[in-house]
Amino acid sequence: MATFDKVKAIIVDQLGVEESEVAMEASFVDDLGADSLDIVELVMALEEEFGLEIPDEEAEKIRTVGDAVKFIQDRQ
Amino acid sequence: MEFPTLRIGKFIPKYPIIQGGMAVRVSTAPLAGAVANAGGIGVIGATGMEEDELRSEIREARRISPTGIIGINIMYAAREFAKIVHTAIEEKIDMIFTGAGFSREIFAWGKESNTPIVSIVSYAKAAKMAEKLGAAAVVAEGTEAGGHLGTDRSIKEILPEIKAAVKIPVIAAGGIVDGKGIADMIRMGADGVQMATRFVLSVECTVADAFKKHYLNSTSDDVVEILSPVGLPGRALKNSLVNRILNKQAPEPENCQACLKHCSQSFCIMDALVNSRDGDINNGLVFCGQNVHQIKDILPVSVIFDRLITDLANA
Repeated sequence: MATFDKVKAIIVDQLGVEESEVAMEASFVDDLGADSLDIVELVMALEEEFGLEIPDEEAEKIRTVGDAVKFIQDRQ
Repeated sequence: MEFPTLRIGKFIPKYPIIQGGMAVRVSTAPLAGAVANAGGIGVIGATGMEEDELRSEIREARRISPTGIIGINIMYAAREFAKIVHTAIEEKIDMIFTGAGFSREIFAWGKESNTPIVSIVSYAKAAKMAEKLGAAAVVAEGTEAGGHLGTDRSIKEILPEIKAAVKIPVIAAGGIVDGKGIADMIRMGADGVQMATRFVLSVECTVADAFKKHYLNSTSDDVVEILSPVGLPGRALKNSLVNRILNKQAPEPENCQACLKHCSQSFCIMDALVNSRDGDINNGLVFCGQNVHQIKDILPVSVIFDRLITDLANA
C-alpha cells in the first residue's frame, strides 16, 4: 500500500484533514470537504509526486481517495 | 473620476466595462456586438449553445462590431466545455471567460492559440491559482452577482483580498448597475468592472419582453437564492418556479440532455433558463443580480454607456 500511504500524506497536507479520515471510500467533496479548487491543487500535487499528467477529463473522474489510488496504480 | 486602463492580453478596451456573459442565450450576438461597438467588451453566453450556433453567434457579433472586442463565457460545469472552448478558438474569439469549476487545460489551449483566458473567481486562493496557470486577468465576483454564485461574501470584501493576491488585472463584478457602482469599485482598486444585469435591460438584449418586464417590476424583496442543480447557489427573481424550487416541489427533469458533467436533477435548469428566455416566466428561472430592482429603464446599449461614462466622470 505504498501508493495509498503517499496519496494519504498528500491529502492530509492539501486538505488539512486527519489521517484517520482518509479512507479508500472517502469522497473528496462529501467526506473531506474539498471544493473544486482544492481538487485542482490536490491533482497537481499528485502529478508532481508521481510524475504523471492528469488531464481535466481524468481528474473529474477522481471522486474518492480510492479513485485517486487506483488511477495512480494503473499507471505505475 | 477617470476610468483605469484595462489590458487583457493584447486587448485594451476604450472603457474597462465588460458585459458579463449570460446563458442560456441571454447575452447573444446583438448585445455583445453593441457593447463592443460602445467601447466595452461584449461577451456571448456560450453555455448551452451547440457548436454551430456558437459559430454563427460569434460571426454575427463580429459582423455587428468588426473592430470591437468580443469574448465568450463558458462554465466548466457544462458537459461540452472543451468543445465550446475549441469552437470559440477556431472562430478566433478575442478572449474567453470561464467559471463555475476550474479547468487547468483551458490555459494550455489559450496559450497555444494566443487567446487570453479570464477566470471568474470568488476568493483569493482561486485567483492566485488562475494567475499561476496563466490567466490574463480575473473577474472577482461577489455574492451580489446574478446566476451561479461562488461565494456568500460581498464584492466589497473579496475585491481587496483578490487585488492583493495577484498581479494580473482584477475586474470587479456583482451588483454594479451604474456609474456610482463603477466608481466605488475603482476606488477599491478594480482594474475594470463586469456588469450583466444592467445589459439585460437594453434594447439589444434578445430575451423575451416578459423577461425584461419581470426585471422592471422587481423589488429588492423579490431577489432570492436557490440551489441550482449545478451544485452552486444561484441568484434569481421570485416567481412561480422559484417558489416551487424553494418548497422542493420543482418539476422533475424530462428529456434530460445531460448538459452538465454533474447534475443533482432537482429540476432541469436548461429547460428553466430556456423557458424564461423565451418568455414563459412562470415555468422559467430568471437569473438576476442583487440590484436588479434599481434599474428602471430599457435603453440602447450606447445610451447605457453614455450614462455610465457621465456618471463616472461626476463621481
